[in-house]
Amino acid sequence: MLDLITNFMFAAFASTGFAMLFNVPKYALIYCFFGGAISHITREFFMYGFNFSIEFSTFISATLIGVIAFYFSRKNVIPRPVYTVASIIPLIPGTYAFTAMITLVDMNSHGINPELTALFLENFLKSVSILGAISFGIALPSLYFIRHKKPIL
Amino acid sequence: MTYERQTKITRVIIKAAVLMLEHGAESILVEQTAQRLGKALGVRSVEVSLIPSAIVLSTLDENRQSVTTTRRVHHKAINMSMVCDLQKIVIDTEKNSYDIEFVKKGLKELKPNYYNRWLIVLMVGFACASFAVLQGANLISFLITFIASSFGMFIRQELSKRNFVQIIIFGVTAFSVTSISSISYLFPSANTNIVLASSVILLVPGFAFVNSFLDALKGYLSMGWGRWLEGTLLTVATSIGIILAMTVLNIKGW
Repeated sequence: MLDLITNFMFAAFASTGFAMLFNVPKYALIYCFFGGAISHITREFFMYGFNFSIEFSTFISATLIGVIAFYFSRKNVIPRPVYTVASIIPLIPGTYAFTAMITLVDMNSHGINPELTALFLENFLKSVSILGAISFGIALPSLYFIRHKKPIL
Repeated sequence: MTYERQTKITRVIIKAAVLMLEHGAESILVEQTAQRLGKALGVRSVEVSLIPSAIVLSTLDENRQSVTTTRRVHHKAINMSMVCDLQKIVIDTEKNSYDIEFVKKGLKELKPNYYNRWLIVLMVGFACASFAVLQGANLISFLITFIASSFGMFIRQELSKRNFVQIIIFGVTAFSVTSISSISYLFPSANTNIVLASSVILLVPGFAFVNSFLDALKGYLSMGWGRWLEGTLLTVATSIGIILAMTVLNIKGW
């Protein structure tokens, strides 16, 4: 339980910090705060509760953020990316992408060997698929609503 | 509608569209804003053509009189408060059927909502450190990440103030962030990989990539490619900064 609360707070603050970097208006910050927490908690929930893979859990939580942002944006008359981009910050596969890059440089300077190649491919594929899951997850809800041929706001 | 009046309306509409695109709105929002503003101000239709570096916009009135104009777009720092305020102006105009002077005045008075720069430095540092914790960092890693990325944010602000190109800003910031966060090699208990990875998270071009995907999936393919390239270039600049710092400090025996 304590773990859940600390995770909640840290994910929320990570999102809020990035929201301020993007100059999100003050009244929208609180939504980014909860958005980040929701995205992270949802992913953890599906990963450890249901034993889903990290990519699929990421996809679900990004989709959820897209749907929630849709309602927030209608309520407050604010474009959706304002919430969504800050909210998905806790999902970014930072360590995977970093390791992939480092191993690539390592292979260049120390010669290519099977271990490094495997490490690189593993991390590269993970980061690419997680990034793909995030972007498709965010885009999906707005694609669903686009057929109505009228502005969402 | 007289030609002069239509020209005036077209100018206001393209001003709004340029501001939106410059501050990081997605393409569908730019187009919708232009069209709704056009309807509200009384032209029959507004057609927009978007490429990453410019906007071409035509308005048609009921007599098929057409006014076309082009503006160059200079991409600025992402600023969502500008986008939100613009959206508000458009919706106000639509609802209360205000005239062109209201929109003109609103656009002139638009001011980006800047937070206190030290608050941003602290918050971004804390955000990167929180990200490190989510990846499984311990207390000492948390502190190092906090220091490194706060300092990185400070450098980024200083470079932005001097109007450098984004690529240089990202590269230099990545270099300094990595140099500082490599202190973690001195502490045996620190999670070095997590520290190094999380402290450069503040340079992830999230908006560029998300917008590129949203644009491409909604049919603005050229905009999608443009933004994707923008994001990739910034990522490459960041990677070069990181690699340079690690080579200089001779981490891992490079």
